[in-house]
Amino acid sequence: MSVKHSLLALIYEKPRHGYELKTGFESLVEGLWPLNAGQVYTTLDRLERDSFVESPGHDKKDRKLYTITQAGKEELWSWLNEPVGRSLFKEEFYIKFLCASHVSYDNKKTMIRNQKETILKDILHLTQLRKQMSLSGNDTMKLLIEGALLHLEADMKWLERIEEEL
Amino acid sequence: MINVSGLTKEYKTGKEVVPVLKGVDLSIEEGEFVCIIGPSGSGKTTLLHLLGGLDTANSGSIYLKNTDLTSKTEKERTILRRKEIGLVFQNYQLLPTLTVYENIVFPMHADGKNVSATDVENLLKAVDLAGYENRFPYELSGGQQQRVAIARSLIHKPSLLLADEPTGNLDRKRSGDILDLLAKFHYEQKQTIVMVTHDMFAAGYADRIILFKDGVIEAEVKREDDDYAKFLARFMA
Repeated sequence: MSVKHSLLALIYEKPRHGYELKTGFESLVEGLWPLNAGQVYTTLDRLERDSFVESPGHDKKDRKLYTITQAGKEELWSWLNEPVGRSLFKEEFYIKFLCASHVSYDNKKTMIRNQKETILKDILHLTQLRKQMSLSGNDTMKLLIEGALLHLEADMKWLERIEEEL
Repeated sequence: MINVSGLTKEYKTGKEVVPVLKGVDLSIEEGEFVCIIGPSGSGKTTLLHLLGGLDTANSGSIYLKNTDLTSKTEKERTILRRKEIGLVFQNYQLLPTLTVYENIVFPMHADGKNVSATDVENLLKAVDLAGYENRFPYELSGGQQQRVAIARSLIHKPSLLLADEPTGNLDRKRSGDILDLLAKFHYEQKQTIVMVTHDMFAAGYADRIILFKDGVIEAEVKREDDDYAKFLARFMA
């Protein structure tokens, strides 16, 4: 689960309290993934339960601090080293298209057109974001965006291929 | 910055007259990043050439900072271009027998002007080619050659940059680098940029996208408009 491990990575960097982890995470993802405070504290409870983090006490403002344990570090390395597979049906549109074919849905062309429109919107949004990241010098985010754009480009080509066949 | 009104252009091929621009009206604000997209042969490159004073219109007017380009002689247009306009082309158009440094300073020297070595050095740094001064174009990759071409287009600090398919010959990675570079100059120097492209990944860098079709502006959209994606989807179709 990426939130859990992202929080571990932030705590690895330095001891932090809950609110600092929320803002740290949001800063890491350039504000693109707002995190619910409740989710942060629930995750911290689980990390503490699993002995991946521990608390050395509270800061001057009485906020509970967390530090990473040896087990937490090992968990983080293990997660970083684990490759990520790609499931064929994780893409919801694939399932939709499968179902549309199954029920002989006669509006597939509209489905494709709408999907292309959504992809274009994503491409334009990400292209602008890439521009911002480039200007602010955030090379890591730029690389992630480039990856996402390559996927979108492939999706677009795939949709064009289906369109030709319909 | 730019005001175009009733612009027409036709070419003669033998006895046949081919209208390329059929009455273009266009206004571009100072500091805008505008992208012109459209099918091949729709007239977008012709429009860019007219904006750059590289060619003349059959009728209509082009005002660049209150100067009517269409009323100027070729020599006057050249002088204006050397002062106000930077040009970037798809095929880089570097002089093969000149080094990177010489290519960059060539337009200024041709104009009898001195170039500060610091300016060239800064530009080379900005386009990430510091240390490449003495290389020749054939020693560089396509992306590097385009970066030299961008440096050359900016050496005289133009207020308007016209780019014709600047990423057309480059792969996605190098295209991104060139677009980042244009975005950087646009952000830092507040230049007006007009870019012709057929690539939606490049178009996404612009503040405003103009769709050209059959020699006229068919539609235009600003980034903040709700139908931005629908507009481009129509173009893609």
